Amino acid sequence: MNIKVSIRNNKKENYSDLDSARNLNENNNIIECKDLNLWYDDNHALKNINLKIKKNKVTAIIGPSGCGKSTLIRSFNRMNDVIENCKINGEIRFHGKNIYASNNNVMQYRKRIGMIFQKPNPFPMSVFDNVAYGPRIHKVNDTNKLEEIVETSLKRAVLWDEVCNRLKDSAMGLSGGQQQRLCIARALAVEPEVILMDEPTSSLDPISSGKIEDLINQLKKKYTVIIVTHNMQQAARISDYTCFMYIGELIEFGETKQIFERPKKRLTENYITGRFG
Amino acid sequence: MSIQLYDQEEVSKTVQEKFSKKAFSKESLIKSSLFIFASIATIFIFFIIIFLFALGGGFFQKVSFFDFIFGEKWLPSRNYFGAAPLIMGTLLVTIGAMVIAIPLGLGTAIFIAEIAPPRISRFLKGAVEILSGIPSVVYGFFGIIVLNQFIRIFFNIPSGNTWLSGSIILAIMCLPTIVSVSEDAISAVPNHYREASLAIGATKWQTIIKVVLPISLSGIMTAIILGIGRALGETMTILMVTGNCAIIPDPITNIFSGIMTITASIGLEMGETPAGSIHREALFALGIILFLITLAVNTISNQILSRLNKRFQGISHKKRFKNLIFTQKLKENNFYLRLKHILKKYKHIITYSIVSIIIILIISTWIGWLNALLVTLIFCSIIFVMRFISAKNKQKIWYGVVIFASIVVLFFVGIIIYYIVIKGLPAITLEFLTEFPSNLGREGGILPAIIGTLSLVGISVLFAVPIGVAAGIYLSEYSSKNSKISNLIRAGVDNLNGIPSIVFGLFGFAFFVVFCDFGISMLAGGLSLGLMILPTIIKTTEEAVKSIPQSFREGSLALGSTKWQCISKIILPAAIPGIVTGIVLCMGRAAGETAPILFTAVIFSQRKLPNSPLEPVMALTFHLFILSTDVPYADLQAAGTALVLLFLVLILYGIAFIVRNHYKRKKTW
Ligand SMILES: Nc1ncnc2c1ncn2[C@@H]1O[C@H](COP(=O)(O)OP(=O)(O)OP(=O)(O)O)[C@@H](O)[C@H]1O
Ligand SMILES: [Mg+2]
Repeated sequence: MNIKVSIRNNKKENYSDLDSARNLNENNNIIECKDLNLWYDDNHALKNINLKIKKNKVTAIIGPSGCGKSTLIRSFNRMNDVIENCKINGEIRFHGKNIYASNNNVMQYRKRIGMIFQKPNPFPMSVFDNVAYGPRIHKVNDTNKLEEIVETSLKRAVLWDEVCNRLKDSAMGLSGGQQQRLCIARALAVEPEVILMDEPTSSLDPISSGKIEDLINQLKKKYTVIIVTHNMQQAARISDYTCFMYIGELIEFGETKQIFERPKKRLTENYITGRFG
Repeated sequence: MSIQLYDQEEVSKTVQEKFSKKAFSKESLIKSSLFIFASIATIFIFFIIIFLFALGGGFFQKVSFFDFIFGEKWLPSRNYFGAAPLIMGTLLVTIGAMVIAIPLGLGTAIFIAEIAPPRISRFLKGAVEILSGIPSVVYGFFGIIVLNQFIRIFFNIPSGNTWLSGSIILAIMCLPTIVSVSEDAISAVPNHYREASLAIGATKWQTIIKVVLPISLSGIMTAIILGIGRALGETMTILMVTGNCAIIPDPITNIFSGIMTITASIGLEMGETPAGSIHREALFALGIILFLITLAVNTISNQILSRLNKRFQGISHKKRFKNLIFTQKLKENNFYLRLKHILKKYKHIITYSIVSIIIILIISTWIGWLNALLVTLIFCSIIFVMRFISAKNKQKIWYGVVIFASIVVLFFVGIIIYYIVIKGLPAITLEFLTEFPSNLGREGGILPAIIGTLSLVGISVLFAVPIGVAAGIYLSEYSSKNSKISNLIRAGVDNLNGIPSIVFGLFGFAFFVVFCDFGISMLAGGLSLGLMILPTIIKTTEEAVKSIPQSFREGSLALGSTKWQCISKIILPAAIPGIVTGIVLCMGRAAGETAPILFTAVIFSQRKLPNSPLEPVMALTFHLFILSTDVPYADLQAAGTALVLLFLVLILYGIAFIVRNHYKRKKTW
């Protein structure tokens, strides 16, 4: 784990809480990237990313394969820490605080910034245990409380009606779409503020994908969603903001409508109109 | 013109037909001969069972089964045949070994698979692999010269030959199995489970305990069961270190009591029994008991494993049905519901208190009630305090524990190798390696033992390799998965694999020595060893052949080759490295085994080399055994023999290792 955290901007780091609160109110930014650079060995995977994610909105990240979308979204909750040859430089601010400033609070940040993966990955345990996993990790042991959390989370993930009779069955017996919603419920159970989704529908059939999209639309009332997708229509349908990346660089960021209708950059236009893959 | 064409077609058709007919009959010939080889393995299993029961069964007409297994006196010279002390001895020594080996092994496996940097885990793996190569007599020798002395002095007791030392040595012997199998299982857990857990905010340790270990549970169970199997079946080490007194420890938790196991009593007494005596029958009856115990362990473990696997695949229809009935009952009776609720709520407290009561009971027999209570209290308070430690610090503590386990394992490897080398090196001279022994082995050399061991290994390989490789090919290429016969063969192979080596000795004695009338000879011993390694050779061949990608077969068959052409030209050459590795490992195992040759092949001293395979031989393992247990003042020669034996076996393991790695690198598919 060669995470090198820049302490270049250490002074700015020490915002007074009041300052950062005011900042938030003004811009309503929940996550901010500042001069983010990331290397896998010598491969410069993210180049000088500056990005502000709005609270309670859906932000889509699009771009051709290998441009660093997954890498970017994984650095929001420090999942890149588990990759050995990965080196990070720059800041990611969550509520104004640099999450890379120290290694002590990683677990807390991951709790507040949940993540959904491309392939549904429920644990091979019962449905109940899957959802209860997070709360148990974070020291909720009371059975009644757990049951309550599991129920609300499953309801929020619009899965409750389908699984309420089989909470004790293995999660591996669910369909792919149900598994993915279970993963969302599992992430919701620890009360995150942000939910990161890396191509959450790419391994699902159209109907299941539709359900997930509906779900994302509901989730944004309460959560901030950042979603990576290859599906242009999907991005246009569900996101408020869109961010286009190309070979490690952030090319354009703006309201989805603007990006899809009046892109400012030539590259973005080419990509959206399908002129290159 | 048209007529001519017709003729040509006719001709080519008949040629083709002839050709394919010939090819076809050759195919079926090959298939049936492979089948015959595969059956031989199965037949031997049944032979083993039949001979065991034929020779031991008569015993139960004289002594009732009940008296046999519950009788508390084992005094064959006075016709007391109560096997309870032996059965208890076997179980106790195995339990003790597991209490030591499971935490150590599991901790090391976790450290290797999840925590250690790649270089350190590679080093640790290599060290553990060395442990698996050390022959059991060498472990026994180490026990006698180091461990028993240490225990005698440290605990200030008259003799170090105790249950405790037996368990410690057995634990070390089981470690490689437990570590490597559970490490494989843990490493096989797909990474996305770990990521899912980390993304929720779990620490690495929480992820390991709550996600990775439960998912790899069936593999870990397999590891533990294999370890138990190894401990139950071990003969020579136990024979050398536990003192061999057939008593039930008093009190039952007295770990400083001497002990005798089933295997040890067979190994020790078989040589002295006259033919047809009730004593010999009793020993075969003990063999039956041992066989039944291993069978029971295998069956129970298979049950557990299949249940675990079902749970993970989400198959639980039956259970759901049961739940339905149960909940109905609950609605009728509110009491059950409340009870269940209470049990659920205080689950942890209940399990902790039960465990601590058991611990108190055990410890109190060693250090008195009050102290035991104190120890348990301290233990409980540690557990209690652990609840308030942050997840991050808990992780640090557990990492420390796991690293400590790995260090202990490394220490074992180091100290064994160190002592054998330090004590043995002074004995190694040209004279020692090239001369015949004299003065009960205290002088002279071990040449006939070296040659004897090599020839025993040679015979066993000559016997087991053709049969084993053919059977392996048959099982993987020709047998369909569901055919009854191949299932029978497979079950036979699996069971042959689980049988303790001393049972091969018993069978070899009954079948090769007595029934086939080979006498105590190189041939009988070599064949017994061959039988012992046969299942491993079948298994490794089958796996090596199976690991060849299906596309190779399809490529060859699509060109119109027959099945056998495909196997002999494409598959076997690709599978050879795997097969050779398996064979060399088996040679190492055969060279280090003592129990199967104990009463089929070996004598202690020889003035000249044997002329024919029908003469008895010396063997390094047996020589070391006698020197270290029966001959006083032969420590130097014993250590020298141990070193030569260790060297021989480790060389074979090293060759296997090199072959495997060499071809792994060359492999491109
Ligand atoms: N673990 C890793 N080690 C080394 N290089 C990596 C690793 N993961 C990603 N990369 C490299 O980083 C770059 C960005 O990869 P990333 O997975 O972020 O792309 P992506 O935009 O998510 O692509 P896709 O749309 O195919 O998922 C690629 O060049 C990739 O090869
Ligand atoms: Mg990606």
